[in-house]
Amino acid sequence: MRNNLLTLASVGLAALAIYLLTTHEGTSGLLSALTLIFIWGIAAVSLNLINGQLGILSLGHHGFMLIGGYVTALLMLPAKERRPFRTRLLSDWARDHLDLDKWLRGLGLDAIANSIDLKFIIALFIAGLAAALLGLLVGAPSLRLKGDYLAIVTFGMGEILRLLPNTKEVAAFTNGPLGIKGIPGNAGNIWWTFFALLFVLWFFSRLKFSSYGRAFEGIREDEIAAEAMGVNLAYHKILAFTISAFFAGVSGGLYASYLHSVDTQTFNFFVTFFLLVAISLGGLGSITGAMLGTAIVVLVRVYGGFLEQPYPAWVGYLSGAVVMLSAFAFSVYIRKARRLRPVIETKHYIFGGLGLALLLVAALFHNQPWMTQTVQFFGMRKMLLAVILILIMIYRREGIMGRAEFSWKLIFGPREDIPTDEQRKQDAWLSNPELNPGLKEGGDDDASA
Amino acid sequence: MTASKNPSRSTIISLLVGAVFVVLLGWRIASLENYTFARIIQDFLNALTLGSLYALIALGYTMVYGIIRLINFAHGEIFMLGAYFAFYAMTLTPLNWAVSLLITIILGGAVMLVLRSLFNLEEPKRTFVLALLIFAGTFFLLTFRKLGWIEALALSMLATGTAGVLLEAIAYRPLRGAPRESMLITAIAASFFLQNLGQLLFGARVRGFNAETVLNKPLSFHIGQETVYFTGILVVVPLVTAVLLWVLNLFVSKTKLGKAMRATAQDAEVAQMMGVNVNQVIALTFFIGSIMAAAAGVMYAIRFGQIHPLMGLMPGIKAFTAAVIGGIGSLPGAVLGGLLLGFIEIYVVSLFPTLSAYRDVFAFVLLILILLFRPSGLVGEDLTEKV
Repeated sequence: MRNNLLTLASVGLAALAIYLLTTHEGTSGLLSALTLIFIWGIAAVSLNLINGQLGILSLGHHGFMLIGGYVTALLMLPAKERRPFRTRLLSDWARDHLDLDKWLRGLGLDAIANSIDLKFIIALFIAGLAAALLGLLVGAPSLRLKGDYLAIVTFGMGEILRLLPNTKEVAAFTNGPLGIKGIPGNAGNIWWTFFALLFVLWFFSRLKFSSYGRAFEGIREDEIAAEAMGVNLAYHKILAFTISAFFAGVSGGLYASYLHSVDTQTFNFFVTFFLLVAISLGGLGSITGAMLGTAIVVLVRVYGGFLEQPYPAWVGYLSGAVVMLSAFAFSVYIRKARRLRPVIETKHYIFGGLGLALLLVAALFHNQPWMTQTVQFFGMRKMLLAVILILIMIYRREGIMGRAEFSWKLIFGPREDIPTDEQRKQDAWLSNPELNPGLKEGGDDDASA
Repeated sequence: MTASKNPSRSTIISLLVGAVFVVLLGWRIASLENYTFARIIQDFLNALTLGSLYALIALGYTMVYGIIRLINFAHGEIFMLGAYFAFYAMTLTPLNWAVSLLITIILGGAVMLVLRSLFNLEEPKRTFVLALLIFAGTFFLLTFRKLGWIEALALSMLATGTAGVLLEAIAYRPLRGAPRESMLITAIAASFFLQNLGQLLFGARVRGFNAETVLNKPLSFHIGQETVYFTGILVVVPLVTAVLLWVLNLFVSKTKLGKAMRATAQDAEVAQMMGVNVNQVIALTFFIGSIMAAAAGVMYAIRFGQIHPLMGLMPGIKAFTAAVIGGIGSLPGAVLGGLLLGFIEIYVVSLFPTLSAYRDVFAFVLLILILLFRPSGLVGEDLTEKV
């Protein structure tokens, strides 16, 4: 009861905070960052269901998001964007018939058709269904594979889905490389994504602690044991895959709406990689972790722009030196703390030496023309994400949260790691041979064996 | 033995599929009017070249997978690095002697470090001679004249091999014994890192790769009334590939290190107990794979005349497909798969011009079909996880 109230209160607080942000000036950057966190959070939580809870590495999430994006875009495209000259490759049939507005009016549901928000709910739902159907089609044959073979198959599926919209036949529905532009952005605004995320979080946390969720985790831990306990492997795997694809489709639709456009470059393999970094950073298998990781990764992407500003070249040399030297210092510190010998290995000398050399070069040639010229480090953010992922994989594979979830009990509940007085008494009783004859017999058994 | 007497069902099925394929192909060729014998030859040359390039890259994938069961996603980027190293070796030379000395020290030092860790260079005298050769050779090559493509190829192979070993040492070695999914994720991250590093260091734009050699001169010969046009590179690529394969085969089958490699591929733990330095063997595998990728990269650049930091993406994936088709983990399989994929790609586009937009899709479809229905590939052993 208290916990539910706390949850409600914090959701209300978050909503209030968002409301205050929307009414104040100069917060558009923060708001779009939040919107992105919500959209990517949905995708990350859904990927987490397969990669974390089910323990299957899936690399095709961008394909499902792409399906969701395209379906939402086609269904929601307003009438004035459906003119022939704007949509050259789109076939007339698709332009005239794939229109949610028309469908609803055809069914006599003008009331719904007049409200763009209600239409969006339906469009997102259909987008999710389309992605889920695809997930079912893709998952059913491929989920009997395991490990990296399955990863490659999902990767291949995702890439096929990315490549197909550009081909002539499929372009009749996707408008080819031009993409679909002019999607109304309602669903991509902060409130929509906020409530969508709330729903997704509610759904996935319910799922995680349901019998299905436990079955998924059983499959992750040991397939054979899970099967022996009566878990239907194929059914549960396909179910998880389909659910995940559904929400990937929804998040794709939200993202397309946020961008007002969708094309094949919107959902490339980098999307999956990005989500992978997010959920690995947060902790594979933890919904809280997926959200935390997404927040960090999106913030790096949105506010990491300063990394790619033009700077004089010596800044690059200097920061390279700083990175190398601090890596050197950090690893030496770790090795000292862990009492590893030798404290400094050859590779550390190389690292430190390179850092010093860079520092020296920067100091010696600080007024040379090639040192003062302006350079721009494009792609630093992606490189940073890649480095983060590699470091997580090497040093902390469980991520920030591990598999733990946030709960109010964690904050307000009794400490479970410190025994209570009652437990202490029980322990004392159990370990006292005079009061507990069972202990003695056990000891005798051990001695005779 | 029994397999040869009683061919298994899957063998029969694949033979049947192959036969149907050949019949369909013949029918299509007969039905196309302008598809003459000369064009078949022309396509054959193109396919052979492309297939050899895929085979060279696929070797790196298949060797690494055979040894540590890792799909080295970053292999395509190693291929890209090879092309860029050769590009800079050809365009920036002759260098100022001071710069050349600096590069020689860095490159030579790295190569020597790597070579020392790869081979058991215990004798100081031999090591010294080798070091002298490498340092003097690199310095001499970089300082005095503009490099031709062969010298650039050699330099690039050395540098790329070193890069491959460094990649293994930095990103993959700390994960030895980790779950395979973690290693795969790391490989993907390494691939992204190298792509973006390439864009940062080399610039994102497409550069012309103008190797001014006889290889690029258009040649032609006649078949009856028809003329077949080709360039030297179309002949050289398969030849270089064949030579490299022959050397690799000798190395793996005849030398002690090759034996250690095969032992590690069979069972790393037991090999270690038998005194094989497994880390060394794995690094060596990366070295050889990267050398092959560099050779492929340089020849790919000469063949298509341009390079850019993302050039490794598609060839990498297709070469991986080739390795899977052949049976990942098997060396002859990689070559077979590479050639097969090259032929399929060229002939499909040539015979069915309307399908040319699906060219890249085909590779993925083939990859998925093979993984779903015959994960062991054409000649490979079954490496799917067994419990």
